[in-house]
Formats: sequence, C-alpha cells, structure tokens
Amino acid sequence: MGNCCSDVGGGMTAVGGTAPSTSATNQNAAADWYFKSRGIQGLFSQIELSFSATSLRDRDVFSKSDPMVVVYIQERDGAFTEVFRTEVVLNSLNPTWITKYTITYQFEIVQILLFRVFDVDTQFHNVAVKMLKLEEQQYLGEASCALSEIVSKRNRSLTLDLVQREESVPSTHSQHRGKLTVHAEESFSSKTTAEMTLKCLNLESKDLFSKSDPFLVISKVVESGISIPVCKTEVLKNDLNPTWKPVFLNIEQIGSKDSPLVIECFDFNSNGKHELIGKVQKSLADLEKLHSAREGDNLFLPTPVGHDNKSKVSKSKFFVEKYSETVQYTFLDYLAGGFELNFMVAVDFTASNGNPRLPDSLHYIDPSGRLNAYQKAIYEVGEVLQFYDSDKRFPAWGFGARPIDGPVSHCFNLNGSSNFCEVEGIRGIMMAYTSALFNVSLAGPTLFGHVINRAAMLASQSLANDAKKYFVLLIITDGVVTDLQETKDALVKASDLPLSILIVGVGGADFKEMEILDADKGERLESSTGRVASRDIVQFVPFRDVQNGRTSVVQSLLAELPTQFLTYMRSRDIKPNS
Amino acid sequence: METKSGTLEITILSAEDLRIDNRPVKKNAFVVVSIDAFNSKTTKIDREGGSYPSWNDKLVMEMPVQTRFITLQVKYCKGSSSGGEKVVGVARIPVTDFVGGYSPETCLQHLSYRLRDPKGLKNGIINVCLRLKESLHDCSSQAAAAAGSIGLGIPIDGRRDFGVVTGIPICSGYPSNALFR
Repeated sequence: MGNCCSDVGGGMTAVGGTAPSTSATNQNAAADWYFKSRGIQGLFSQIELSFSATSLRDRDVFSKSDPMVVVYIQERDGAFTEVFRTEVVLNSLNPTWITKYTITYQFEIVQILLFRVFDVDTQFHNVAVKMLKLEEQQYLGEASCALSEIVSKRNRSLTLDLVQREESVPSTHSQHRGKLTVHAEESFSSKTTAEMTLKCLNLESKDLFSKSDPFLVISKVVESGISIPVCKTEVLKNDLNPTWKPVFLNIEQIGSKDSPLVIECFDFNSNGKHELIGKVQKSLADLEKLHSAREGDNLFLPTPVGHDNKSKVSKSKFFVEKYSETVQYTFLDYLAGGFELNFMVAVDFTASNGNPRLPDSLHYIDPSGRLNAYQKAIYEVGEVLQFYDSDKRFPAWGFGARPIDGPVSHCFNLNGSSNFCEVEGIRGIMMAYTSALFNVSLAGPTLFGHVINRAAMLASQSLANDAKKYFVLLIITDGVVTDLQETKDALVKASDLPLSILIVGVGGADFKEMEILDADKGERLESSTGRVASRDIVQFVPFRDVQNGRTSVVQSLLAELPTQFLTYMRSRDIKPNS
Repeated sequence: METKSGTLEITILSAEDLRIDNRPVKKNAFVVVSIDAFNSKTTKIDREGGSYPSWNDKLVMEMPVQTRFITLQVKYCKGSSSGGEKVVGVARIPVTDFVGGYSPETCLQHLSYRLRDPKGLKNGIINVCLRLKESLHDCSSQAAAAAGSIGLGIPIDGRRDFGVVTGIPICSGYPSNALFR
C-alpha cells in the first residue's frame, strides 16, 4: 500500500472524498465511473420507485387477483424493453408492492416508462418472479408516463389510470381497470457530507535527517475484507504534530456512518515508497464520538510476527479536531420543495438564415413534416423542460426582424401580440414560430442583448415576489453576435439572477467567437464598466458538432443546468423547504 | 435635507490572481472597504492564501443615501506586522449596480469586479456579496434623480438607467495600448 500516491507534485495533494459543499453536486463516485464507462454523461440521481394500486380488476374465480407490476423503459428507437418486475402480492385488488425499482434519473433526457400489471395465475405461485412467462399471465392493464413527471410532483407520487393495451380488441366491458400509483424516492444518504479536521500528536520520525512528512489515507473496508482508499490528505512537510486541512466524505460513498474505515498515517517519500507510521480503524460514528469527547486514540502499528498479527501500540495519538455534517440538497430536493423551472425561447430571425420559403433556408418549413433545426431545438429542449414548469406558459420572442409595421426589433413577441409574450405549451411555441415566420421580414444584425435583458427582467420580478422559480432562456441562432460587448454586458448584469442561458448555434457559421460567452471554454465575462460575471450562466452548443455523436444537443445543453441551479441556490443558502 | 443612510452588509469573499511587480502575491492580503474618506473598514489578513486569498469577512457599514461608489482596495503587507502595506488593486462598485438593478437591494447579491493596480493595469478579480438591511428605494431614486439632474439636467435617451461609467486613469509614461492587456 502506498503506491497509489506516488508522484511527487500531485502525490502531495489531497485526493478523493467529496468536494466541499460550495462546489458542485454530490455524486456517488463509484456509480459515476460506472455510468461514464457506459457513455451516460451528465448529472443524475439514483431513484427508487415503489408501486401500489387500487381497484384492480378481479380475474380469478374463487379469490382476488394476484397482481405483479412489470416495468418497461422506452429505448431510443421507440421500442419498450422490460427492466424490472415486482413481487407477486397474493389475493389483493389494492396491493402495495414491496420490491422497489432503482433507476438512474437523468435530467437531460426524457425517460418514458411503461408499467404493466399482470395477474399471476395460481399454478405459478411458487415460481420465481423472474421465470414467469408474461404471455401465460392475465393482463390487467397498463399505464405509462415520463420519469420527470413523477419526480417533479411535490409528493413525488403520480397516480395513473390503467388502460387496455391498444392492440387488443376494444373491450365491451367498462373501462375501469383501476389506478396505479408510482412513488419516487431518492436513494437515501446521498446528501450528507461529513467534514473533518484531523490531527496527530507525537508522530514517530521516519526520516533520517529530518522529521516525517505525514499524510493520511482514509479507506473503507468492504465485505470481503479488502480496503479501498477513499481519500487522502495533503502532505505536511517536516511535522510530527500535523493538523491537516479538512477532508470531506460523502456518507453514501462510504456506505453508512457505521461502516468501518481504516485511517493510515504514512511518511511521504519522494520515491513513492511511503512508510506507514501507524493506523486506526474507526467508523464515522466513532470519529464523531472522538471529537465530542475531545479525546485522542493511539495509532497502531501492525507488526506481522509469524502468525501473530499483533499490533504494536505506538505513542502517537490521533485526534478529530472538528467534525460536522452538512446536508447537501440535490436538484430533486428542490423540485420536491416546490421549485420550478421556467422555460423561455428566443429565435433568430436574421436574414442570414435565408428566405424561409426556400428549401435551403434554416427556417424552411418542410411540408413533409420534417423539423428544421430551429424546430428540433425548440422541441427537444422544451420537451425536457416542460415537466418542470407548472403552468406550461412559455415566453417566446424573436429577434433581428422587422414585424409588419415597424422598425427592426431585437425582441418581439413571437405570438404577434404587443402586450404579452407567453404561449401555451410546446405546441404553442411551434405554432407561434411558424406564423411569425410569415409575418415578419428577416433583417439583422444579430444582437442578444435585448432578449437577455427581457429575460433578466422576468427573473428579477419573480425574485422580488420571492417566487421559487429558476429561469431558462433558450436562444437559437444561426450566426455570430454582432456586438459581443453588448451581449457580455447584458450577461454580466444578469449573472446574479436565477437564470441560465442556453445558446444553440445552427447552420454552418464558425462559432468560435461565441464560445467566449461560455465561461467553461474561457475566462469570466467582463462588462465594459469593470464588473465581472458572478457566475457562468451560459451554455453554448453548436448544433452540428453534436449531430454525429451519441449525445444529443439536449444532453450537452442541459447537462450543466442542474449544476448552475444548485450553485445559485447553495451560494445563497436557499434550502428546498421554506 | 436630512442625510438618510442605510446599513450595508458587505462580505468580502475572495480575490483571484493578484500580482505585485508582475509576480503572484505570496501572502498577507487584506481588503479595505471605504464608502468615503472617514468611513472605512478592513478585513482580516489572509496569511496563507497567496494570490488567491479568501476572507469570507462580513463588514457592516453605514451607507449614506447619496453614496455613488464603494471603493475596495486590496492591499498586502510584507512583514507579519502591519507596517509596509502596498496597494495591489482597486475596484469601485457603483451603488447603482446593487440598488435599483435587477435584484431587490435587500436581497443578497453576489458581485465581482475587475481590480486595477495603481498604474491602471488589470490585476485580478475581487468577489463580494452584499445586501442592504433596509430598502433605500425611495430615498435612493430621489437621490439619483437629484444627482442626475444636477449633473446634466437632460435625461439621456429617455432611459431610467442611471448607470455610471468607471473611468480608467491614463498614466503618462506608458503607451496607451498597455492598458488593454
């Protein structure tokens, strides 16, 4: 042991554990690696779905139905594949199933689930649920919904009516097939982080001419007895009474507060062969006790002498200077607490898009129904975000065109009204977009400032009313902004609001200049008055860059959104429950 | 006219990329917040942070209604005593950036500003968060209107925005393009 921290420069820094609470979300590091290796990017949470039903149909003659739920997920090609089965509940028309289905909730894709309820025939009651052939069971009904629908409800429960499968002959019986309730719960303990400041006294000196350079490695012990390092502290040079910087541990990463941890103190050697000074075995609960009792514990040195693995008690002592636990709320916690995302759209109507009546224009409305780039972006992003917007009324604007009577406007209402800017639902946006196309003359230049200011005004009014709303503005454009500084000024002014701006670049233009607006790719934005953006609120994605890859525009655009939302809430210490 | 004032709670969070004589600052940075010549407060000294110091120091100050700017001076001291301070960079926060802007002034606002050294060159960024304890809204818009009309007497562009422009001092002896690194 000890070779996991071999390089000098990097090897001396603290590694692992969780980031301190002011930065990005908690993630289960092991699950994260697993999902990344399968190509699932972006933020996610583990959700457990539990099921119950009422008023199921009675299919058995002498007793009630014995229902079971089978869960299917819709794949990219539209087909449903089975993913889970609950257990069979005997003799009940209002069952509550115990087995829960764990699914990864991904914010940026729409996960459609299908639930089918079957009555399991008596002859199969001793067969394992997995082995049951569904064709041999009696179909009771089905229901489907998107995972985000369940998750965005306040009580995280969604009740659906069970209906007949479409392919079957329409039944002459009454349509009442009962109701299925699906309840979502986030896997517990993913949110609690323990922060500890550790120190040691009287360490042994392992180096010849100087004192030890100690650092700690904290490992968790898994069932098979192997210890897996979870984090290590920085190296303190020449110090026999070291106090290290605080370490942060995610309780779920370790298992639980009572999971055994091994804390080893090593003397750092630049050749990578670090010597063990001593170790202790404690759980987080033990560490908390050590802290409150203000006591120290002795380090042990395992001395393998023959078969006797006796541990020599060293005179060095180990202390927990500080111990505190903080709860890091996740995106879903805020949704459950009543927070909403408000979706807004701004469409580029500049002349560079081409004449909308010609097929080579980016705004061409194809009579065959194929969506143009603008429609695709609106539809895909809107589809995901609409679940989080309770009233489904979306402000929609256009910019860079001349409405029928008037000069060029850099922020006009897409619905043609002069008083209000909202449309109803994604359909409303699509319809307003198509009608606006033929009611305005495309002009220019490409300026975002007005639209950003308008969105910022809406966000600011909501802030003044103390509403629990976070605004997302989607700007779809084909060209590079004419006045970059004006856009930067507008963005800097809006950077402290509950607002995120997603920019999709369509068409073939070179969007290099636009990437400056997205602070991931460069520096923080600076306005002409010397003010710097408080946070990065822009996510920019060129549409064509992503068309070949496996990720969609939506996934790249929305992947950062929960982080931006959480950074805003955490920096102001806004908690989900008021 | 009675001088009304509000209470400003300003927390100096951190600073980034501070340099002195073209090398990163090693330690002992601190910030002096001044509202006017007689009304200023100082943060604690960050002994370890180097060129990315963090203070998280909350200061409460009285801010008269006619205040136009709040000045932040980042300084550092060489020795462990407070002798030998040098100014690393200065930023001025126009009051209009947090009063009458997008966020209500009693709401906690996070603001960041570009620091400029005594020669006017860019020297890092400072991050603060602040709020006013009570709303100055009625007083401040009166004051701003009064100040605006005294200044010019003509509303420019009909806009309500009394934004202020921060001037960058031009220092002789340096070619002008050196200011725009």
